Amino acid sequence: MLHLSRLSRADWFGPLLATILAILLIQSFSASFLSAYNIEILLLAIAVNALVAYSQMVIIAIGQMNLSVGAIGGLAAISFAGVMEVWGLPAPLALLLALAIGALAGAVNGILIRITGISAFVITLATLSIFKGINLGITEAQPFYGIPESVKSFGASILFGPVPLLVLPTAIVTLLLWLMLRRLPMGRFILAVGSNEHAAALSGISVGTTVVAAHAISGLLAALAGVLVVARLQIGQPSIGDDWLILSFAAPVIGGAILAGGHVSTMATLLGVVIVAIITQALVLFSIDPFLVQVVLGAMILAAVGLNRLRARTPLKGSH
Amino acid sequence: MSAQDLVPASAGPLSPTGGGLSRTRFFLSNEFGLILLIAAFVAVFAFTTRGFLSPFNLFSLGRNSAVNIMIGLSMMTVIVTGGLNLAVGAIGVCAAMVCGWMIEVLALPWPLAVLGGLALGAALGFVNGWMVVRTGLHSFIITLATMSIFFGAMIFLTRAESFRAMPEVFSAFGKMKLATYLSPLLLVTLACALLLAWLYRFTVTGREMLAAGANPAAAELSGINVNRAVILCHVLSGVLAGLAALMLVTRNGAAIPSMAGQLGQDWLLPAFLGPVLGGTLLKGGKVSVLGTVLGAFLVTMLTSGLLMLQVGAFWVQTFLGLMLLVAVLLDKARRSYLARRNLA
Amino acid sequence: MTATPIFRAEGIQKAFPGVLALKGVDISLHPGSIHALLGENGAGKSTLIKVITGVHAPTAGKMYLDGAETGFASPRDAIAKGIGVVHQERNLFPRFSVAENIFLEQLADSWVRPVDYARLNREARPWLESLELDIDPATPVSELSVARMQLVEIAKALSLKSRVLLLDEPTASLTSSETDRLFTILRRLRDDGTSLVFVSHKLEEVQEICDRVTVLRDGENACDSRPMQGVDRNDLVQMMIGRAESGGAWRHRDTEAQPEVLGLTGVATALGHRDIDLTVRKGEIVGLYGLIGVGRTELAKCIMGQFAVTGGELRVDGSAVRIGSVAEAIHRHGIGYISEDRKGEGLILQHTVLENAGVPIWRKLARAFGSLSDRRVEGVVTPFLRKLEVKTPSLAQTAGNLSGGNQQKISVAKWLAAGVSLLIVDEPSVGIDIKTKAYLHDLLRELADNGTAILLISSDMPEMIALADRIAVMDGYRIRGEVANTGVYRDISRRIMDLIHGESAARAG
Repeated sequence: MLHLSRLSRADWFGPLLATILAILLIQSFSASFLSAYNIEILLLAIAVNALVAYSQMVIIAIGQMNLSVGAIGGLAAISFAGVMEVWGLPAPLALLLALAIGALAGAVNGILIRITGISAFVITLATLSIFKGINLGITEAQPFYGIPESVKSFGASILFGPVPLLVLPTAIVTLLLWLMLRRLPMGRFILAVGSNEHAAALSGISVGTTVVAAHAISGLLAALAGVLVVARLQIGQPSIGDDWLILSFAAPVIGGAILAGGHVSTMATLLGVVIVAIITQALVLFSIDPFLVQVVLGAMILAAVGLNRLRARTPLKGSH
Repeated sequence: MSAQDLVPASAGPLSPTGGGLSRTRFFLSNEFGLILLIAAFVAVFAFTTRGFLSPFNLFSLGRNSAVNIMIGLSMMTVIVTGGLNLAVGAIGVCAAMVCGWMIEVLALPWPLAVLGGLALGAALGFVNGWMVVRTGLHSFIITLATMSIFFGAMIFLTRAESFRAMPEVFSAFGKMKLATYLSPLLLVTLACALLLAWLYRFTVTGREMLAAGANPAAAELSGINVNRAVILCHVLSGVLAGLAALMLVTRNGAAIPSMAGQLGQDWLLPAFLGPVLGGTLLKGGKVSVLGTVLGAFLVTMLTSGLLMLQVGAFWVQTFLGLMLLVAVLLDKARRSYLARRNLA
Repeated sequence: MTATPIFRAEGIQKAFPGVLALKGVDISLHPGSIHALLGENGAGKSTLIKVITGVHAPTAGKMYLDGAETGFASPRDAIAKGIGVVHQERNLFPRFSVAENIFLEQLADSWVRPVDYARLNREARPWLESLELDIDPATPVSELSVARMQLVEIAKALSLKSRVLLLDEPTASLTSSETDRLFTILRRLRDDGTSLVFVSHKLEEVQEICDRVTVLRDGENACDSRPMQGVDRNDLVQMMIGRAESGGAWRHRDTEAQPEVLGLTGVATALGHRDIDLTVRKGEIVGLYGLIGVGRTELAKCIMGQFAVTGGELRVDGSAVRIGSVAEAIHRHGIGYISEDRKGEGLILQHTVLENAGVPIWRKLARAFGSLSDRRVEGVVTPFLRKLEVKTPSLAQTAGNLSGGNQQKISVAKWLAAGVSLLIVDEPSVGIDIKTKAYLHDLLRELADNGTAILLISSDMPEMIALADRIAVMDGYRIRGEVANTGVYRDISRRIMDLIHGESAARAG
């Protein structure tokens, strides 16, 4: 019993329960839900969306927000496709370049926030526009079609059974992030700064470096998400990332992240992504209007913040 | 030590309507800076482009800035509370679509439909405000969620189809030119701005909104119903967002679901550019209606001027983002300069 | 005791724009000693702490560590040099484990070497044991009681080899048994040679545990690092307030026959008050005495309608009422509340003097469509600002730019302008210089003489005894008894303390 109560306090417990319930419920109405084809579609959506959510989660962890996640992802995506088509760079080099651009764009956010002391909201709103503008300025809103075969086949191949290869990078990132936030000083510093910036500084943590590092990681993850979308769509669409804003906040919040900072969980965020994907898929499956996805997403954010708040209000008594 | 230490403004050279701004203070103010910038850029564009001051360009400039200023005012009314409203675009489009629906499907007379649209804007604003007050959560996350809900519901109900059979009055009003160059839309916006300025300076409700935004705890203990003030701010924001969208309808001659982009996100940048350039504090409690008007106008004018300079339509967005950055940096520098001067 | 001091500060001055907070203060801290740092609010105590811990650089003066001159570039620098501090607010990361909180410092060397939690837990244990803390180092701090969190912070400071340890109001949120345990530990640390600085308002505790004392008053030393021996409570108080606790200005006022303005009978509230009986008559000053956190401010907010009264009877002008909102309390019942937290709840600092002074009367002055001009507000408010001698260059001045005393005068003026018949005044002299304080006291007496009923909340005993006609004593969200004031300090203060301690003793026994 004691174990169960400890377990139920873990961040991922609630989302996991919700995930299992949702799967069982949907499966009982539609047997095809867990078909190989459906699972593959689910995993493809999760692979990209998880990276988008992580990109925001790292910033939520330091108690800030990043409106430019989608713009960075889009910029990295067209850079990735563009340098391969226009300059004929090999895919691995293009990948590195795209990731570097993402990390740099994120670092710019962090540096601007740190040295100006202006809120992350305003800074990332401005850079959102700048990055998106550069994207449109370069592409003139036309996609890059010249994606090499290697990338296309990466995007279309299967790892095993119904599991697409695209899941692999996301799985690795998930492990690394989990390790970082749990075990590496960098991750601990990010959480410490988000939890209490003043105390973190007093404990010898360089708050500025931590903030910039978190934003660079956020940019890197957004860029990786952008690259995966290019591999999946097989073209470099300038509009990649346009619809990430709500999604990026929804999954961490559904996973119990506190927007004030210092409290995020990689696993819970992943489960948040899974829940969103399952419900979206269910709407399609039951041929409910896909337009309603937005409504459901918004409602889920509201429900999740409401629940998180209730949980915060009834803290468990300290065990003496 | 004596009563002379207190200089009552009524006895001084300032009239109370002067808002207590001395002349030097005005020259150091954001508004004055914006006026200088506007004048400078008008001169630049007048010389470097052909037809910047032509009646046609002035007309379209006025029409575009009417919409942008209105969007900025809509955000400003919520920034006053120290919050923000990400759903301005979504609310605006919903209001426009309801107006279109009432005309095209219900065949109601257009004034009724306009009122219906604005009423929906107010209602959606009320939903935002009510949830912010009841949950105690920051308006960022609430309006992020409602932006998705409002927009999704609108797309679901309209099947993403436009209402194009708008009555002639609408597009006629949008095309109307007063004295060959002035769009009446700009007059509507300016009238709204004047009303807002009056609200914040000369009414109890406006003062209470500012007090509630500056320090909710103190305002509450001074007898202000802070919750009501916050909800009212959101309702006002919803109405203004609806108005901005209806103006777009008169310009386009149709109510189009995508007129504010995906989820209404396209409005976010103009919505913040006006108030932030105009010196409205994001943490609430201070407002400058004139600043918002000038800020939004400057942005519209620069966009139009850059397009005429053939900068390339796609780069304009980058430019606007840079401008927001520069503006907040300049404002910060100006404030710290003023703070130093006050101490010295 | 005559050993050379570990740390010495000489002639420390600290100027802020417009204020000289420290005017040349000395303090010397010896090893194996618990040193009391006392002073009223605004005496410069917290500024001195900030100088010693490296938050502020002194404007003038010298500091010595082990006899050698030193200076602190930052709080980090002070910590590195062996000056540890445990602040009143907790500086812990609630979701991190006890061990990680203690050793976070040491992780700062590398960004990517994985944290060895087993080792951290192992290394944390001795520190916890030395403080008799029987907790698993892997426990998240959020699961600890406040008292234990504080001990974790002490462990953290000790693990950084602090030789001087400042404790800022360490007992403020502890129960009496927790305080006893803390004192046992502090004594042991002292015996091990640590130099402790104990900052507290509770003179009983100071006398119990401290062996040396420094008192600050008005940014100067009222006494400099002298032994506690031979100093009694009255001496401490006299040094803190600069005179014997004067009851001089108190005078008897006959209000027995006056009608009741506020009456509470058996009131219970949503915040946890029980069986509250209290009356305030017209023209009377009733004191509500109690230590911080015993429910005085909370009771005021329930009377103001911000929180619900859940039982008993609340009467205003003799008739039972339910007050649903603050606006109702002000406008319908004529009750005003001057908050102890002037910056947070009292004034709107970024708004002008005129706006602040006029808030409660806006609705009353409004004309058609709720329109209201500055001129109308000025007309009502100016006489009161004049009367209170508020010093401001103009009515358009930002309230935040005025001194604390002038800000407090504005808070009073706004309720005078609103014409309230009952004024609840919460800790009116916090952060106000002594002259303004005397002025405020005169003002409150004058108000009462003119018929305003005043409920005075204060934990400043001399203030209470100088002003109140009757004093109700609160502890643990209940009224413990009432004392009719005679203005004789020694007598009244003893009776008040008896009421508080009598109850604590009864609870303990």
